[in-house]
Amino acid sequence: MASINFNINGKDQSIDVDPQMPLLWAIRDVVGLKGTKYGCGVAQCGACTVHLNGEAVRSCVTRVGRANGQKIMTIEGLSENNNHPLQLAWQEIDVPQCGYCHSGQIMSAAVLLRENPNPTDQDIDNAMAGNICRCGTYLRIRKAIHLAAGGMQQKVGKNE
Amino acid sequence: MTVSRRNFLKVSGLTGAVLSLGFYSPTNAEEAEIIKAVEADSFGIEMNAWVHIDTSGKVTIFSHRAEMGQGVYQAIPQMVAEELEVNLDEVNIVFAKGDNKKYGNQITGGSSTVRGSYKNLLNLGATARTMLIQAAANKWSVAPTECYAQGGHVYHRPSGKQFHYGELVIDASKLETPKNVVLKKRSDYKLIGKPLPRQDTKLKTNGTATFGLDKEIPGMLYAMVVRNPRLRGKVKSFDDTAARKIPGVKHVVKTRMGVFSTYREGVAVVADSIWTAMQAKKVLKVEWDDSGFEHLSTADIYKRQAEALQTQEGLPFKQQGDASAIIAQASKKIDVVYETPYQYHSCMEPLNCVAHYQDGKLEIWGPIQAPEWVQDYISKEMNIPRDKVIVNMTFLGGGFGRKAFMDYPHEASVISKEIGAPVQVVWTREDDATQGPYRPGISYRCEGVVVNGEISAFKVKLAGQNNSHWRGGGKDKPNGSASEGFLKPYFDSIKNLSIQDVPFETPIPTMWWRSVYASTNGFAYESFLDELAIEAGKDPLAFRKDYLKEERLHQLIDKMEEVSGWKSRKKNEGYGTAITECFGSTVGQVVKVSRNTEGKLKIDHVWAVMDCGWYVNPDTIKAQVEGCIVMGLGAATMHQVTFQDGIPVDKNFYSYQLPRITDIPPIDIHIMENDADAGGVGEPGLPAFAPALTNAIFDLTGKRIRKLPFSLASV
Amino acid sequence: MKQPTEPKTHSFRPIRTGIAIGVILTVTAIMASTFKTTDKLTEEDVKTKNKTNRAPINRDSVESVKAFASVYKVLMSPRCMNCHPAGDVPLQGDDSHLHTMGPKRGAEGKGLYAMKCSNCHQPTNTPGVHTPPGNPNWHLPPATMRMVFQGRTPHQLAKQLMDPKQNGNKTKEQLLEHAHDGLVLGGWNPGEGRTLPPMSHAEFTKAWTTWIKKGAYAPKP
Repeated sequence: MASINFNINGKDQSIDVDPQMPLLWAIRDVVGLKGTKYGCGVAQCGACTVHLNGEAVRSCVTRVGRANGQKIMTIEGLSENNNHPLQLAWQEIDVPQCGYCHSGQIMSAAVLLRENPNPTDQDIDNAMAGNICRCGTYLRIRKAIHLAAGGMQQKVGKNE
Repeated sequence: MTVSRRNFLKVSGLTGAVLSLGFYSPTNAEEAEIIKAVEADSFGIEMNAWVHIDTSGKVTIFSHRAEMGQGVYQAIPQMVAEELEVNLDEVNIVFAKGDNKKYGNQITGGSSTVRGSYKNLLNLGATARTMLIQAAANKWSVAPTECYAQGGHVYHRPSGKQFHYGELVIDASKLETPKNVVLKKRSDYKLIGKPLPRQDTKLKTNGTATFGLDKEIPGMLYAMVVRNPRLRGKVKSFDDTAARKIPGVKHVVKTRMGVFSTYREGVAVVADSIWTAMQAKKVLKVEWDDSGFEHLSTADIYKRQAEALQTQEGLPFKQQGDASAIIAQASKKIDVVYETPYQYHSCMEPLNCVAHYQDGKLEIWGPIQAPEWVQDYISKEMNIPRDKVIVNMTFLGGGFGRKAFMDYPHEASVISKEIGAPVQVVWTREDDATQGPYRPGISYRCEGVVVNGEISAFKVKLAGQNNSHWRGGGKDKPNGSASEGFLKPYFDSIKNLSIQDVPFETPIPTMWWRSVYASTNGFAYESFLDELAIEAGKDPLAFRKDYLKEERLHQLIDKMEEVSGWKSRKKNEGYGTAITECFGSTVGQVVKVSRNTEGKLKIDHVWAVMDCGWYVNPDTIKAQVEGCIVMGLGAATMHQVTFQDGIPVDKNFYSYQLPRITDIPPIDIHIMENDADAGGVGEPGLPAFAPALTNAIFDLTGKRIRKLPFSLASV
Repeated sequence: MKQPTEPKTHSFRPIRTGIAIGVILTVTAIMASTFKTTDKLTEEDVKTKNKTNRAPINRDSVESVKAFASVYKVLMSPRCMNCHPAGDVPLQGDDSHLHTMGPKRGAEGKGLYAMKCSNCHQPTNTPGVHTPPGNPNWHLPPATMRMVFQGRTPHQLAKQLMDPKQNGNKTKEQLLEHAHDGLVLGGWNPGEGRTLPPMSHAEFTKAWTTWIKKGAYAPKP
């Protein structure tokens, strides 16, 4: 056991865990944030995607020790009121079916839009192929990312 | 604990006076009587408490069906709210607990939620509305015909006076429940038929939807189970010395769960966290007894199926005319074998279940498709009175048939009782992938004769596991679903037709998988039809039209031609089609393929036309058909369950590869408009995809694919 | 053995005539190292290096080519070749299939967007089979210096390793040291269930050093 300190969704937190424990289980079962999902445990499906210092890591294979002193963001921290442009686009298009993979999908898409505010279909493929959706909502995911990108640009436009 | 009206009030957070209506339909009768909660209490029956309205006007609807992505979370309120004349955003929905007596058949399967209960749900909403209007009319001393309901209010048309529903519920609840209420006309619908946003979407964009794996109850421990890699072994012995030394490990117990008529054993490690249990599992040593059943490999299964098809006639499923004799005498015939693989459901949420056994009572929470089956089964298996088994449904992270089963709730219940504490059993992805039950892989021998451009004889024999056998019966009968997926009007137009089932068994447990037998039958029958059409020298779609002598199907085919540009296809484009029917809906698909500049085959487009009759939400239907096509694409071109020496080979997504965003072609979906009875929407979109694709590949390349899955890259 | 004189006609490219003697060697599993083209040497540097490097090189073409045969075996093993793919998607597994989910190289060789190498590949191997192997510096060669191994003949690969235009202008020292790069070494610690390169790291280093020190000759085409 070791004391691990990180900032999660803007809050500093200290937990006492085995540093070998995957970040996924630390987030879900120690911190108690259940929005991040277990899907495969071997970085194949992306359901467990969270941001570690802004990067879309697969928390099922990321040891909690790697997050010591770092910044984590989970789906719960993406926006205050479920209103990140991606969340709004997901709602507008009714992307989810069962919904289980979408925390991970949205967290992956958030990195894409941060680095490329106006992605092409190919860019979306390059970013999102690591996230499996068994319900097959891929076409809507693509559409929602384009919609969110448009929304983000509008937002930027307004602020300027 | 008896789930009484009072408990419903508690669950729903309602207090005081309410108008509480439901229906009691133990057999899922199509038209059930709408009754009031008080009447139900006095009759001594458990009422189906679908809808409550309290004095503040708050409407609460209890969903008796599981939400696993198919949209019932939205479809049920959409139907009730339509007739009740309330806005959807004023309606709360609560998942009802599993209770066969209260809700009748609750299984979310067979794409049945809407088609099985929509008339009752409409009646329910209309009955409540009629009573609220009557209550208002009484207060105003006017005729109810002068009043109408809208947006949660009753209005008096001449005077413009109005009451909020909340002001009427006490009076309304004292009225007799009216019979034969008038339903709204389809043209007057404000909600039904509209692509309204789903009520559960927001919960699924910020991580707040509670899936089974997210459920926590006070004092809950976590169990992971070491399972036999073979599908039927027993625990011979185990050594838990090392496992028990790991801090946080509380118990190591032998466990078991029912898999149809057999039991599967395992050794459960119970710990204070999932992570601890995972570590302990690694050091637990278990010796298995794998005697008494065959350790089959995939090659054995298909070899035997192929042999059976060549050497045996099957049990007759459908016989008319004399197909076998015509085939025997024919100088030229088609005689081909189609093979379909075993498949795994691979829901994104691996199986899990919370159970708490205490003082002779059992409460269960989990991603469960069939709560009343679970209640029924566990009550019998564990000898607990039915009313002391409470089953709660969470959101399901995928279901596809797998979560309409009792094994994992049973396992959780057995462990909880054994250790005397609440427990969540969590399956790893590897557990989920390697334990079955699977969709059976079926082989089909298709023989046909074409004379003068007409089908002279049509014979299909199938050999593959029959799910009914696992449910303990039907061994002397042909598979009752031997032609599921195949359009029934063909039986009227193909005079010499024989469908037979060659009985075949293995120790591999099998069960329903999205669209069940239609998912395998569809490939064989619709590919075979394509071969017959080619042999007849006819256009495959026109050929089907000739044999499908029903106006509704002709309209569907016309639509398929229109949207896909079937008749204006260009050179170097392969077009393929298939039409299948299951669970009350017919879906026709057209797939277009071509080769890219590097000569690689690519799917350019998929068009699907769905005829599901009366429907609730077109956007949900489109979403379901999109999902079915993606699932069909995976099953046709990517994954299969294989066995080596009795052990499932593929353990996780690295080898059981699912479609990703990069694999998805453009998909267009069209819904036929008619007033026919509502059909299912969750499954019927799947079966036609694979044959439409392989028929398109034949059209482009002349290569007939008769074995699934195949790699697109290999074509 | 007699010290060979400068060969007059052969297909080998004597190191002396090279502009800069950098070779990127990338031997590890999936890796590739990050010598950036921005580190380009000035003309003056090149002259100096050529001068200093000329003297100690022992150009034994036969020994050099022989050593390269061993080097080649290692570089073409899945542990090395998988991250030196012909395309922009790394390879995976002992059969060197295209990496599941198709992560892309990206400009720096570190992946793109939500599919950066280090999102899955941790600083160390993840326990278990079929889990991502780890290294703190996991990446492919960058887009400007793709250093493809897949499909290369021994001749092509040797030439490519020595071609400053293709190897990121490595000095000979950098090249020799590169055998001990952390990512290179990672090839010999590939994680559960993966085969090792066909010889030990020590044997590889010896072959590598011999190949370069004896003149870095390329086998005949």
